[in-house]
Amino acid sequence: MTMKTWMKAAVALGALALGSQAAIAQDKTFTISWWGYNGEKLNANIIEPFKKMCDCEVVFETGNNADRLNKLKIRGGKGVDVIFLTDSYSQIGIEEGLFQEIDRAKIPNVEELYELAQAPQGNYGPAYTIGRIGVVYDADKVDPPIGSWNDLWRDDLKSTISLPGITTTAGPIVVLRAAAHAGVDPYTQTDEAFVAIEEIKPNVVKNYNTGSELVNLISTGEATVAVAQDFTMASMTAAVPSMTWATLSDGDIATLNTINIPTGAENVDLALEFINFVLSKDIQQTEAEQGVDAPVNKNVELTEEQAKIWTYGKEMIDSLNRVDYDKLNAAKPDWIDRWNEIFGS
Amino acid sequence: MKYFRSWSLALPATLAVLLLLVIPVASTIATTFGESAGPFAPYIAFFKSGFRRTVLWRTIEVALITTAISLVIGFITAYVIARMPGRLKSIAIIAAVFPLLTGVVVRSFAWLIILGKNGILNDFLIWIGAIAEPLSMLYTEFAVIIAMVYLFVPLMILTLVGVLEGIPNDVVEASISLGASPAATFRQVVFPLAMPGLIVGAVLVFTGSFTSYATPQLLGGERQMMMGTFLYQRAMVTFDWVGASTIATIMVVVTIGIVLIMSRIARRLNPMAV
Amino acid sequence: MTYRIHPALIVFASIVFFFLLAPLVIIIGSALSDTTYLTFPPRGLTLRWFENIFEMSAFRRTAITSFQLAFAGTALSLLVGIPAAYALNRYRIELPSWLSTVYVLPILVPEIVFGFSLMKSVTVGLETPIFLTLLIGHALLVLPYSVRVVSASLASFDFSIEEAAISLGSPPLKTFFTIVLPNIRAGVIAAFILAFITSLNDVSVSLFLTGPGISTLPIQILAHMEQFFDPTIASVSVLLMLVTVAVMAIVEATLGLTFLTK
Repeated sequence: MTMKTWMKAAVALGALALGSQAAIAQDKTFTISWWGYNGEKLNANIIEPFKKMCDCEVVFETGNNADRLNKLKIRGGKGVDVIFLTDSYSQIGIEEGLFQEIDRAKIPNVEELYELAQAPQGNYGPAYTIGRIGVVYDADKVDPPIGSWNDLWRDDLKSTISLPGITTTAGPIVVLRAAAHAGVDPYTQTDEAFVAIEEIKPNVVKNYNTGSELVNLISTGEATVAVAQDFTMASMTAAVPSMTWATLSDGDIATLNTINIPTGAENVDLALEFINFVLSKDIQQTEAEQGVDAPVNKNVELTEEQAKIWTYGKEMIDSLNRVDYDKLNAAKPDWIDRWNEIFGS
Repeated sequence: MKYFRSWSLALPATLAVLLLLVIPVASTIATTFGESAGPFAPYIAFFKSGFRRTVLWRTIEVALITTAISLVIGFITAYVIARMPGRLKSIAIIAAVFPLLTGVVVRSFAWLIILGKNGILNDFLIWIGAIAEPLSMLYTEFAVIIAMVYLFVPLMILTLVGVLEGIPNDVVEASISLGASPAATFRQVVFPLAMPGLIVGAVLVFTGSFTSYATPQLLGGERQMMMGTFLYQRAMVTFDWVGASTIATIMVVVTIGIVLIMSRIARRLNPMAV
Repeated sequence: MTYRIHPALIVFASIVFFFLLAPLVIIIGSALSDTTYLTFPPRGLTLRWFENIFEMSAFRRTAITSFQLAFAGTALSLLVGIPAAYALNRYRIELPSWLSTVYVLPILVPEIVFGFSLMKSVTVGLETPIFLTLLIGHALLVLPYSVRVVSASLASFDFSIEEAAISLGSPPLKTFFTIVLPNIRAGVIAAFILAFITSLNDVSVSLFLTGPGISTLPIQILAHMEQFFDPTIASVSVLLMLVTVAVMAIVEATLGLTFLTK
């Protein structure tokens, strides 16, 4: 190949590459920031119908909570129209002033939600799904069964437990439970709470940071007990059928996933329309039936089989403990350091 | 005139590096000294924490072990390649280049499949009867090191094949014709002449593994946190930019320090260098 | 020199080559496995994981971005890098000696530190669009290859030929394109390939710079692996290996692969 044809080819390729970039930018685009799991199902259930409604192009930012929230902060609240986060992270976003207040009159479907999902964090975004943090264990290998958070400190559970890493959603909950175990206040008597964490360490085989890591640990039998979020249940039971969600006398912890509109959103009206759409009974029903997300719309009706994996129904939802993320988030940097000192070295 | 023309040609690239690399990195370093708690407060905090010292030490240890293993494997293999007949040599070089051009994510991912509890290595070891129960190899320092060696051996081989081929034939022949055994020739002629190449390779591998992100992230996880993954956690998960900048500064200092020291040693060891 | 090598060394080298290539074979095998988890040897053969990639728009989109970045970033780096390399060789006396060190700084400074700093100064400080910041990052990341490799081939270029042409009345710019550039063709191609591959595979710089709607393929693969451990990743890896094969074919056709050891 001569230099000239080489360069011609290069220029043509470059034009092609840059051309497609320009083509994307032309239409009206609605930008969603979320985790990126269940991509195909969410695409079929929500995105494709929504595209038809709004006559727009939909683009995504995917990644974990912290990553996306921090990038939003870096951009000064600009760049995305709606952001899906778990409540601990949306609380940070609210405190940082990254989200706008939402006029609930513009999302009528909010009326159909359970009360705790309507406005979990003041006038900011509603919750679109609910989950639990609790304890799972392999009923074939753990005897007697686990009935309380305090059981995690039991002597017979040596090297069997997997805890969520401190930087995950469920991580700080372990600190809260450790404080409860020691009978102290986690925020003012942090030293004592972490003594309880040191005490649990012999029982811990490995901690996990992602859902897939946990499923891996469970399926290989390395861990038989874990503190986990309920959405990981389905894949754990698929690998190990005897995995059981413990009925805890001191209660599971509620987690809410929220949708918020950042202050710099370009398409606020579309964003409201989108949130309303996600909360509608039909969408919530389909998502629940397909095992994507638990419903918070009161009108969704599930069979017992369908409801099994979810936090579903008024009774269960009322039994959950809520977390004060205001206080927790303020304490977290210190907890991360202390946690790292115990587990990281 | 010449002065003007030379600078006008070099200026765009120079400005790009200064404005978009030197200034941003310098400002990262500067933020660590602007703390109200005192100019060295972030560093005192860093070295006071047992966990952070462990991360730094682990990173140095992994980088050193990786470098040592890669040097030995790379040197022997390059030595064999350099003495292969032409056709075979090309094939060998292709086999070494191919992994090198394949991305770090892909190559680290391969070890995720191999080292898993149900992975091929465990299956194999059980099959030959070496172990009864599968070992946990993932998320250990061993996993990180083996993947890093895998990452850097091709680089070492290619660096050293070039160097070994550059050793003049008649020097080696002269040594042998003067009665030196092949082993002695290797020790006293080939090895010293290859020294500068070994140092270049060592520097490349050490700095590469010291600053890596994807491999420790995938194969070490949070348990085997290294400086790169720790920097990311500080910056993006806990949003502690001063802490992240402190880590960044330590990485820059170690990297540039190693490069300077090793290039000085290389110059001293190689009187033939121009 | 082809005198005899000890057989033990040959065995050792063979093991090393096995060590280098077996993992890649394992990836290919896992990509074809008809299971929802990663396993080798494959159980049942299927191409559905390859279809899966094309169905997942995230992979398609990020792959396009990665190629655009690699292409535009490499082109930009050559655009500023070739004149710099030329100046370094042609005006060796006029330019300060530290200048050539400046151009290797992007390799010398740890990539992850560079990415982090770029995020703080450029994304936050200047509020540049995401694609542009990524482009800046990638162009700078590969600049050392452009300057060094082109410089190496200019080092053996006899500038008196160029001077002769100019003294015979040929305009300097035209002389550069007709006399100098054809002589350093191999260097430019090599620089292009090295830079392109480096950009395409980059993780550490992109890590901090991706944003809504714009991510690169390696970052997308990492994100996917955080949640899933299925053969999709293996099949993406196979496609990336095919790109590598294509690149090697280009190197072989234009320069010969032994070029890479020089």
